[in-house]
Amino acid sequence: MRSLLRRSNTSLLREIDQLRSVLLRRSIPQELASYYDWVLAENDSLHRQALQNLRDLSLNRDDTLDDILSQTQNLTRSFRLYDERLTTPVLRSLPSDRLCLRIVNWLHSLHSQTLHIPTGLSDGEFSIWPEPQLPVVYFMPPSAQLGLLYLPLFFHEFGHLLYAYHKPEMDDLVRDLQEKIAELLQPLSQRDDLHTEDQAKKRNVIVETWYEWTQELFCDAVGFVIGGPAFIKAFSMFFLMLGQGRFNLPSDQLEQSQHPVTWLRIRLLAERSRHLGLMDEAERLEDDWDTTARTMSISEDYYGFFEDDFRPFIQKTVNDMLTEASPYHFTKDDVAPCECNPQTSTPVHLLNRAWAVFAADPNCYDDWERQAVQTFLESSNDCNVPT
Amino acid sequence: MSHQWLAIQSFQQSQNLLDAINTLSIHLKLKLAGIPDQERVEASDKARETLSSFLEKLQDVIHKTEQVKATPILGVDSRLKQLAKSFIAAKDNRRRFHSALFTKNICHVTQLLSSTQEKNEKELVESLAELRVLIQEHIHTDASRILGEV
Repeated sequence: MRSLLRRSNTSLLREIDQLRSVLLRRSIPQELASYYDWVLAENDSLHRQALQNLRDLSLNRDDTLDDILSQTQNLTRSFRLYDERLTTPVLRSLPSDRLCLRIVNWLHSLHSQTLHIPTGLSDGEFSIWPEPQLPVVYFMPPSAQLGLLYLPLFFHEFGHLLYAYHKPEMDDLVRDLQEKIAELLQPLSQRDDLHTEDQAKKRNVIVETWYEWTQELFCDAVGFVIGGPAFIKAFSMFFLMLGQGRFNLPSDQLEQSQHPVTWLRIRLLAERSRHLGLMDEAERLEDDWDTTARTMSISEDYYGFFEDDFRPFIQKTVNDMLTEASPYHFTKDDVAPCECNPQTSTPVHLLNRAWAVFAADPNCYDDWERQAVQTFLESSNDCNVPT
Repeated sequence: MSHQWLAIQSFQQSQNLLDAINTLSIHLKLKLAGIPDQERVEASDKARETLSSFLEKLQDVIHKTEQVKATPILGVDSRLKQLAKSFIAAKDNRRRFHSALFTKNICHVTQLLSSTQEKNEKELVESLAELRVLIQEHIHTDASRILGEV
């Protein structure tokens, strides 16, 4: 076992060092500098761990072999994560990443917890790795990275990061909501038989599902309060044509689902929009989804996972979570119907402007976007934080 | 908008726990054998804190799960709930799990973590080895989700 472990750690050392030499040859945009520094520092840390395992092996003690084996497996997993996922933002970096990174870095600069977190961008479906011990990696489909229209969806992902930094308080708020939903699901009278037991189990599944669902709804709300109309338009456009499962899922699939059905998320976003006076946007949003559902002959049913009487408690919980996390809130200037001022406008204004131009004339949009992105990237004032 | 956030958080937590278990286990074994291990003193103190805080959190979820089997577990993510369920199942599996962690209770092991008596340290080493088995089984799901299979 000892020689096997020595061989494994020596091989890991070789791979770690090889990767370091590749990383050192990469040139990266300025916006990725802190992430790049983290990647090199992590390489050093992995190197040190492999050396520690080899030192422990050199003590020639049989009673620690199980510990060193587990440490070697731990190091192997850490290295795989590093190699396959965490170095990717550096190794795949493209000049076009600057746009996404500038916007994400601007967003991170507004919150004390996220101000100094190294941030990277990678390809994939929209997601985030919001683990406080790792740098933040935002994943995004490659085509969405090239333009402005879908960038507001980053704001939803940012919500997961805020949740992670306020986890104890957030979990308490979610627990209170789950208690309320459990209460609302209680039948007025109960029989003492097998059917009653099955119903109780189903209620438990629903209540437990709301742990993950509440976090997703909080992230939707974060996306909306940061991005305003641009967020709901991006959200709706991204999901609307993805098929029946976005409108309705059978009960057994809801039990396994980590996200609420998208149609429900649209309903709650529309309600939030109306609350902020965005009546037209809310109406158009719901109308698009209702029309599509009608054409597909789908009726709205959440099979007990959501009832109308949950709604005020859900919205109140999400409001309390927003108060706790305190994300940036879009301003009147961010949704003003005028061109951006490179010196004073925020990226949120740029994104809202993009949706306005796209809605007015999609044929002219590409030329406008090319110019707007160029102006944004050339602007020396990359973090216009309103005072 | 995938569900990677939970997998990466759970994965990293398990990695940290395994690192803490291994660091402390090696340190205690060397200490019990009379071999100086000065370079790991600080790391092993941190490992005790990590494990103590985790066991406290796990104890809370296990308590709720055991106490009220017919009611839902609230304010807890699905991965931690799964780990609590695996722990409860392990307590009933005396063939595989027979250390103090599974035959006595979590509070007892939390006390062992702050003890410097040789007898307690030996008992702690056994519990750490079995906790490691449980966490290694648990991390596999998250690792597959994040890193995939060949």
